[in-house]
Amino acid sequence: MLIKNKNQIPASEVTPESVYLSRRKFIGQSSTAMIVGAAATPALALPSGWVEEQGYSEGEPIGEKITPEEIATRYNNFYEFGTGKEDPSKKAHVLTTDPWTIEVTGEVAKPGKLQIEDILKGIDLEERIYRLRCVEAWSMVVPWVGFPVKKVIDKFEPLGSAKYVKFTTLYRPKEMPGIRSIFSSVDFPYVEGLRLDEANHPLAIFAIGMYGKILPNQNGAPFRLVVPWKYGFKSIKSIVKIELTSRQPRTTWNRSAPHEYGFFANVNPSVDHPRWSQARERRLPTTIFGGTIDTKMFNGYDEVASLYEGMDLKRFY
Amino acid sequence: MSAVASSRSGPRLRWLATPYAKWSVGLLLAIPFLLLLNDVRIEFVQPGLGLGPDPGEALVERLGTWSIRILYLTLLVSSVARVCKLPVLVQHRRTVGLWAFSYVVLHLAAYFSALAGFDLNTMFADFTKRPYIIVGLLALCLLLPLAITSTRGWQRRLGLNWKRLHRVVYVAAILALVHLWMQEKASFMDTALYGSVLLLLLVERVVDFTQRIRKRAAKTAASD
Repeated sequence: MLIKNKNQIPASEVTPESVYLSRRKFIGQSSTAMIVGAAATPALALPSGWVEEQGYSEGEPIGEKITPEEIATRYNNFYEFGTGKEDPSKKAHVLTTDPWTIEVTGEVAKPGKLQIEDILKGIDLEERIYRLRCVEAWSMVVPWVGFPVKKVIDKFEPLGSAKYVKFTTLYRPKEMPGIRSIFSSVDFPYVEGLRLDEANHPLAIFAIGMYGKILPNQNGAPFRLVVPWKYGFKSIKSIVKIELTSRQPRTTWNRSAPHEYGFFANVNPSVDHPRWSQARERRLPTTIFGGTIDTKMFNGYDEVASLYEGMDLKRFY
Repeated sequence: MSAVASSRSGPRLRWLATPYAKWSVGLLLAIPFLLLLNDVRIEFVQPGLGLGPDPGEALVERLGTWSIRILYLTLLVSSVARVCKLPVLVQHRRTVGLWAFSYVVLHLAAYFSALAGFDLNTMFADFTKRPYIIVGLLALCLLLPLAITSTRGWQRRLGLNWKRLHRVVYVAAILALVHLWMQEKASFMDTALYGSVLLLLLVERVVDFTQRIRKRAAKTAASD
């Protein structure tokens, strides 16, 4: 039986027609695939080819070699899919990203739940070639496709009382085997946060794509944060909730091991992780003969230094 | 009945005592190393394909994993020999133990090369400031005298003390587990896995020890 709701807005009205059509095409393709191969291809919030279709302003080269795409999409930390580096690329394909709703709440004048398509409406895509420095002392150079965080947050009109932004990752045990693991010592859902002025910094972006394509699931599809001057774990993946708060949010790694992972987690070669040095990093791909390079303060993004003026960064690590 | 049983287990037992068996055990334990060597070779030909995007880390980790596995296998040999009443197995314990030590040494060598890049400052900082590295290094230092005194000559020279000295392996086994546990970030799966194996091995020894004491007591009671 088909139940029709009169008030339902047709998808063609919310989504640009080209997207809608290409999605129809995609759904058609995937259902064919399902019949032929009996392989479940989960629906994507943004159809493959969407980024190419939308177009984006190309990123400025940073004079460092871009990490090969197959490495950036195969070597990931996304503990919802397992703690192994290759677990996410092997297991995240089952993640359903369509529909994808993002809730914006807290200290904002216009809270709401929006479909990702609506959030992206009227936003120009830009490519940003950023260094990504993991707290585990390896690093990559990734060409992201996205837009400044500020552009989204401003849409919801933050109140004067808003001082922090709290981000939450999807929590869906059915599709995320890492959450179901009884040996996990991390609390899910994954939560990260920034000070509002950090989130508003032009370098902080939301990414929906990388390497000129939509994000693969293992890289945080369909909507993730990228804060290049902080350790990678701050750049939270697959966001479903954005909350503006007056108090500093309690973040996942900070709660799990406060002496190892601070709230700020700015890349800082002079503050060691208790279990390893942060002075140098292994730029992937490395060789078996070491091959480390010096880690730079704020991962080389000196323009953010003014955000932390007068702060003791050894204390607020 | 007994003739059937002996014809079944007899030849097999005899084979276990031959030099062929010794060579087989040695070669079998070399397989993980040879596979790793092959991956290193592939890594040279086509970077990234043999050991992944962070080959140094992968190399150190895989050698470390095999170190703890074969170290625990050494302890398992004595347990199986006791439980299955196959004392002939004990002949192979030295081969297994020496391989365990070899993997530990290779694990450290890989760390020197791939993670420390032979940088003395990095190594010094690691050996003084990183507790998990100190614990790992301590385990290696404890295994060194055991490897040296593993020969028959040393066994004879040390007599009863040989057995006492080699009990140090239990300290090393526990330190290896601590070394692993201290590096876990979000999942305790490996620690739980290797911890349960070690626990079982230790429980078997406690059971064996109490049984022997009881038997001895029964014997003295019978002779009284």
